[in-house]
Amino acid sequence: MRKLTFLVTLGLLLGCSAFVWAQQIIVQGVVTDERGNPLPSVSVIVEGTSRGTSTDFDGRYQIQAENNQVLIFSYIGLETQSFVVNSTSLNVILSESVSSLDEVVLIGYGTVLKKDLTGAVDLVTSKDFKKGSVVSAQQLIQGKVAGVSIVSNSGGPGEGANVLIRGIGSLNLESNPLYVVDGIPLDSEGVGGSRNPLNVINPNDIEAISILKDASATAIYGSRAANGVVLISTKKGSSGEFSFSFNARTSVYTPVNYIDVLSASQMQTIINQTQDAELISRLGNANTDWQKEIYSPAMATDNSFSASGSLFNAPFRASLGHTNQDGILKNDNFERLTASISYSPSFFEDNLRINLNARGFQTDNDFADRGAIASAIHFDPTKPIYDPASPYGGYYTWLDSDGTKLSLSPVNPMALLDLKDDESSVERLISNIKIDWSTPMDGLTGTINGGFDRSNSDGFTLVDPNLPDDADGFNGSESDYANEVTNLLFDAYFNYAKELKNTNINLTAGYSYQSFEYDDSSSNYTEFLNPDGSVNTDTSIRESFIDRSKNVLLSYFGRANINIKDKYLVTATLRADASSKLPEDDRWGQFESVALAWNLHNESFGVDNLFSEFKLRLGFGEIGNVNGLGDYNFLTRYQSSTNAGRYGFGNSFYQTFRPAPINKNLRWEVGKTYNAGLDFRFAEIDLSGSVNAYIKETNDLIATAVVDPFTNFGTTIDANIGDMENKGIELELKGTIIDTGDFSWSFNYNVSYNDNEITRLENEQNVGDLGFGSSLQRHSEGMAPFSYFVYKQIYDEAGKPIEGAYADLNGDGLINLDDRYFYKDPYADVLMGLSTTFNYKNFDLNIVSRASLGNYSYNSNAASAYSNLITNLGRLSNINREYLDSEFIGLSGKNNQSDYFIQNASFFRIDNITLGYTIEHFFGENPLRFYITADNVLVVTNYDGIDPEITGGIDSNFYPRSRVVAFGFNINF
Amino acid sequence: MKKIIYLMALTSTVLWIMSCEDDLNQNPTDPDLFTEVDVYQSPSQALGALAKVYAGLALTGQEGPAGQPDIDGSIIDEGFSQYTRILFTLNEATTDNSVVGWLSDPGVPEINYMSWEVNNPWTKGMYFRLAQNISFANSFIENASALAANSNEVINYINEAKFIRAYCYLQLIDMFANVPLVAEVSTELPLQSNRSELFAFVESELLELSNALPASGANEYGRVDQVAATALLSRLYLNAEVYTGQARYNDVIVQAERVFSSSYSINTSDRNNNGSAYDELFLADNNANGAQNEFIFVIPFDGINTQTWGGATFLVHAPIGGSMNPVDFGVNGGWAGLRTTKGLVDKFGYSITSTNADGHPIAWSDARAMFHTDGQNYETEKLAVFKDGYAVTKFKNVDINGIAGSDSSGNHPDTDLPLIRLAEVYLNYAEAVTRGGGGSATTATSMINELRSRAGAPTITTSELTTDLVMDERSRELYWEGLRRPDLIRDGKFVSGSYLWPYKGGAASGKAGEAHRKIFAIPEDVLLVNSNLNQNPNY
Repeated sequence: MRKLTFLVTLGLLLGCSAFVWAQQIIVQGVVTDERGNPLPSVSVIVEGTSRGTSTDFDGRYQIQAENNQVLIFSYIGLETQSFVVNSTSLNVILSESVSSLDEVVLIGYGTVLKKDLTGAVDLVTSKDFKKGSVVSAQQLIQGKVAGVSIVSNSGGPGEGANVLIRGIGSLNLESNPLYVVDGIPLDSEGVGGSRNPLNVINPNDIEAISILKDASATAIYGSRAANGVVLISTKKGSSGEFSFSFNARTSVYTPVNYIDVLSASQMQTIINQTQDAELISRLGNANTDWQKEIYSPAMATDNSFSASGSLFNAPFRASLGHTNQDGILKNDNFERLTASISYSPSFFEDNLRINLNARGFQTDNDFADRGAIASAIHFDPTKPIYDPASPYGGYYTWLDSDGTKLSLSPVNPMALLDLKDDESSVERLISNIKIDWSTPMDGLTGTINGGFDRSNSDGFTLVDPNLPDDADGFNGSESDYANEVTNLLFDAYFNYAKELKNTNINLTAGYSYQSFEYDDSSSNYTEFLNPDGSVNTDTSIRESFIDRSKNVLLSYFGRANINIKDKYLVTATLRADASSKLPEDDRWGQFESVALAWNLHNESFGVDNLFSEFKLRLGFGEIGNVNGLGDYNFLTRYQSSTNAGRYGFGNSFYQTFRPAPINKNLRWEVGKTYNAGLDFRFAEIDLSGSVNAYIKETNDLIATAVVDPFTNFGTTIDANIGDMENKGIELELKGTIIDTGDFSWSFNYNVSYNDNEITRLENEQNVGDLGFGSSLQRHSEGMAPFSYFVYKQIYDEAGKPIEGAYADLNGDGLINLDDRYFYKDPYADVLMGLSTTFNYKNFDLNIVSRASLGNYSYNSNAASAYSNLITNLGRLSNINREYLDSEFIGLSGKNNQSDYFIQNASFFRIDNITLGYTIEHFFGENPLRFYITADNVLVVTNYDGIDPEITGGIDSNFYPRSRVVAFGFNINF
Repeated sequence: MKKIIYLMALTSTVLWIMSCEDDLNQNPTDPDLFTEVDVYQSPSQALGALAKVYAGLALTGQEGPAGQPDIDGSIIDEGFSQYTRILFTLNEATTDNSVVGWLSDPGVPEINYMSWEVNNPWTKGMYFRLAQNISFANSFIENASALAANSNEVINYINEAKFIRAYCYLQLIDMFANVPLVAEVSTELPLQSNRSELFAFVESELLELSNALPASGANEYGRVDQVAATALLSRLYLNAEVYTGQARYNDVIVQAERVFSSSYSINTSDRNNNGSAYDELFLADNNANGAQNEFIFVIPFDGINTQTWGGATFLVHAPIGGSMNPVDFGVNGGWAGLRTTKGLVDKFGYSITSTNADGHPIAWSDARAMFHTDGQNYETEKLAVFKDGYAVTKFKNVDINGIAGSDSSGNHPDTDLPLIRLAEVYLNYAEAVTRGGGGSATTATSMINELRSRAGAPTITTSELTTDLVMDERSRELYWEGLRRPDLIRDGKFVSGSYLWPYKGGAASGKAGEAHRKIFAIPEDVLLVNSNLNQNPNY
């Protein structure tokens, strides 16, 4: 019924149309870029009306207008231009955009001029992208947008990043934004064996990235957009002669720092002090810095080529990219080949426009065993890497009395890197066909967009028989997996643009179907030999697994954009979403948004003297979220057991069936955003900016919550457990400080403050698993999510922590759980980004820096104690040098939950410095630019761990980010 | 014409869109996922669901030896979460029977020092393990009932699930005392019950099952019959005074006598000819070497088909260290963690045959004194040092011929672990006699002598039969089988200063523990989620 009401409302909105015509002339011409290349798909609109067209493949357009009306020509990334109609012929040259006001911004299911925006949307175009050795698309906008935190997952090659827009919006569901590439929303879950879902795009193919931050802007995308939307538009073909572009870059990655562990001599001193002959006998004579062994400088090359021009009279672009990057961890490699094609023919006098896009990648990964990172931290430094007497391929190994590996002893990190071959090959193809049809009814366009996104990955891990293993007769193992993800998208929508007196109305209504299908299979085989060397067929068993699931998302949506006299702008959105992840009764959610904007500079009270733009915005929007929620949670399911997990009755073994945890009461998590914003641009000086203040409420948060085990079949279920609020303020400033022609200096600064608090929670939840059941963090009403919940360390007069001494905070004379307190959280209060560009003649210098204030990390590598060093397991293990300060004997009980290990991880970081030089007219008219660039140049922080910037706040065995120096060039011809 | 085409295109699009709404009803496509209809379609199929109710006490998840855990890793590490491994930790390592040397493992020092906290992973893991298994049993009982009308076999299954549920509840009464009583599938947050209420439930369930379950010996190995219920009743009544304040020793006698008239018998076949039939109980072939006749309720493990990092894998590997040769135990290595204390060693003082230079015993005529003394110290000076304290050689993965079990990699033993065996019921009877429950002192004496004779130990006369002797006999016969903590509590020695062992109460030479340690804490996570529950006193 709710759906029906919804459809009727949409129908009424669409139905209110009338046909009004004035005396018209026909204006025609060609639109080109600065180099004279025809530009297709340029939007041509009669100002103050809804009438518009776009240029064809030769850049030609034709439009009806009245004399003295204004034609507006706009194209993404290029400066919008307006011309008064005074003849029937008008040729236009569009140059690169310098003024953001006239930039075209992508919004869901359409584009608008920035000046017509009502929501909080940021646009970053290719010229403002972060330079440097960028391999992943997320890095392009790092530090560029207020309120957006982008933290790479690790220093591994080709690695993804955790992107948060305005703080974490959900406790356990996906907190990353929705990525939409040329209208195709990507599946955030990626495919097994892949390092980053955004690997599908070569950063060089990206034209512009829009970040939709508030719900009034994202609402049209519905539930998948609950954490904001990152819209990526790629470069499109141009018409006319083919032109080519080539980019090449070579980078060198070097390790920057290491975790402080005891040196061989410190280890020897400590062990010798015990005067225990048996322990001393365990010491070796070597001096091995294991971390320096596993990390070494690495090289990467990145080349891309694109061709763009007219093919069979229609714009065409094709690109190829190749990246080959070694990791600083030995034997880690990432190789990627990307290809993309776009082709945009049109038919029937441009009334039927077809956009074909296909892009794909193929990556080959060599994964170094990251277990070597922890192993290098803990492996005894007095032992050599190689030991000729070792039965394990010559790699030093702790041995038992019988000459085999000592049970439970760590594996030599170099053996882990050399004797394991973990490779994957991932392919992904995203293709879509978009058909736009200008119907005979004036202003009514119909669009159908069909998308197909398939990822395949194949991987294997081969373990050499020589790898030290506890099991007798271990003769190597092999595991294979294949994952397939298939996503289908079908969008159909109408757009109706109508011009009334002083008022333009633009209505969109449509339908969207998406399905996500996962099909994974894996098998593993471990071979054991009998003492006589023959293969033991009883224990050498191959096990196979298949995992499949599918979910469907279905939506109806509608949007109205109303523009009154270019002064008052209104956007209203309605969207109904249904997800197969929710039980039938709670499956449909209906979400609304509305936003208002007021262009004060178009009023006659004088603001326009000082400002060329002065716009106030107000918005409210709701959006549902089930991203990241598992499938079928509300159904009764039974999981069968594997062959080695059977149970014996009599002489037979039975596969067991376990009832799965169930939650029949799941419903939509709903985010509500209130946003107030101000955009301004000074008239006389080049300074523009915006301020946004927001409150983002998330209601019925879905989180993994512990259940009373008497009431369910698992220990945790995903359930709607509470509400949360993010509130904050953001400021962006952009301008030119000096521009003397030869020399210019411009900057882009942003700062944001975000405060995150859980406002309602059914039950407090322990989170931040420290392993083995103890937790570090707690969700609690009135606190920031993931707040640390710890004991308050007591220190002696010298400032040294007293082991096991904690403040009796409740004063009951006992130190127990009730004495823990909330101390800080892992998320920054203030984020800043500063980019600055200097140009002098043909030189350009770019610096990108960021700062993060008020984020705290748990330095778990420092939480290291004597009992970890000397164990009763017949061996020695290294520990963190922090031990020399704290001299903690054991880490059990409360010691690893001490606030002593929670440290301020605020930092200032220079992400990138790039110096470039351009030789103009290198190839005819075309320039050649070459550059040298350095990434991760400097980090200033008080934090003692290896890197202050770690998602989630628990710093443990992190793959360190390296410093990168690269040289590259780009050339067009 | 054109308009008609448009209209048709539009109509068909709308119809197609409407049809897609059915696509929102997705059902699992995974071949490893099943519905009630699949699992309960026939009695033979339902046996797999019953197997899970049993397997909850044997395995940690649906993948052997680890993977798809039953209990989330944020509660307890999967390898730690196996029932008998936690049972050992809570009921043996907290006593004079054992110390655990892995002091860097979470919660382990506090187990040794009798200073565990509310969030100790072991107590937490046990609470979740038992409560979850009760939920599995409730689910099985409810779903299988639909099949029961036409199948006596299914009625047996249901009764077996009820037995497992009663067993789990008895352990909850013993360890956590005040837990909810939930005997059906419900998502309602349950109320807290006290020990007396739970006792009454377990008692009535077991009394009914002691007649309803298959007759003695009528069920296959690994599944319980009437005797299991009767034997468990004798254990319940033995502890009745601790649980309810009211002694029920006469009921122990009554139930134990029912057990004695059953088909179960003490294993006396010394198949490996080492002079005692005791060690056969803990060998890889204990499902077939004669020991099985003594096992009233047993968890079968198998090196290939029933793999876990707890269970027998833990009990065989963890005590091996120092100069012990793993090959003798049929495994690939030792974990050098578990030893015993002189508290247990001294129980065998009456049968010492040899001492070392320091005067400490190194050989005993009682074959149950299965200690490795070479390179080991009698005293437990340092917990973390394996040589401090005698090692225990009770559990092995070799058969009567010394051949290792089926897993050639030496990881997972075939050794089955008895949870109730006849010798315990003998001793329940004997203890009840000495505590005034009636019965026959002569019978009790002969039973103790039957156990002693099997081990080659000197026999006693009826006049020597005292509670202290029976308690020591329990120690000698049943050590490391998960019964020591309740025995000490019943005997008033668990927290008192009158009986000490190394590191009791956190002192190297031992000191009294706090009175509230006789029951464990309800996990904080559970209290947070169910506000009907109150924490046990003084936690």
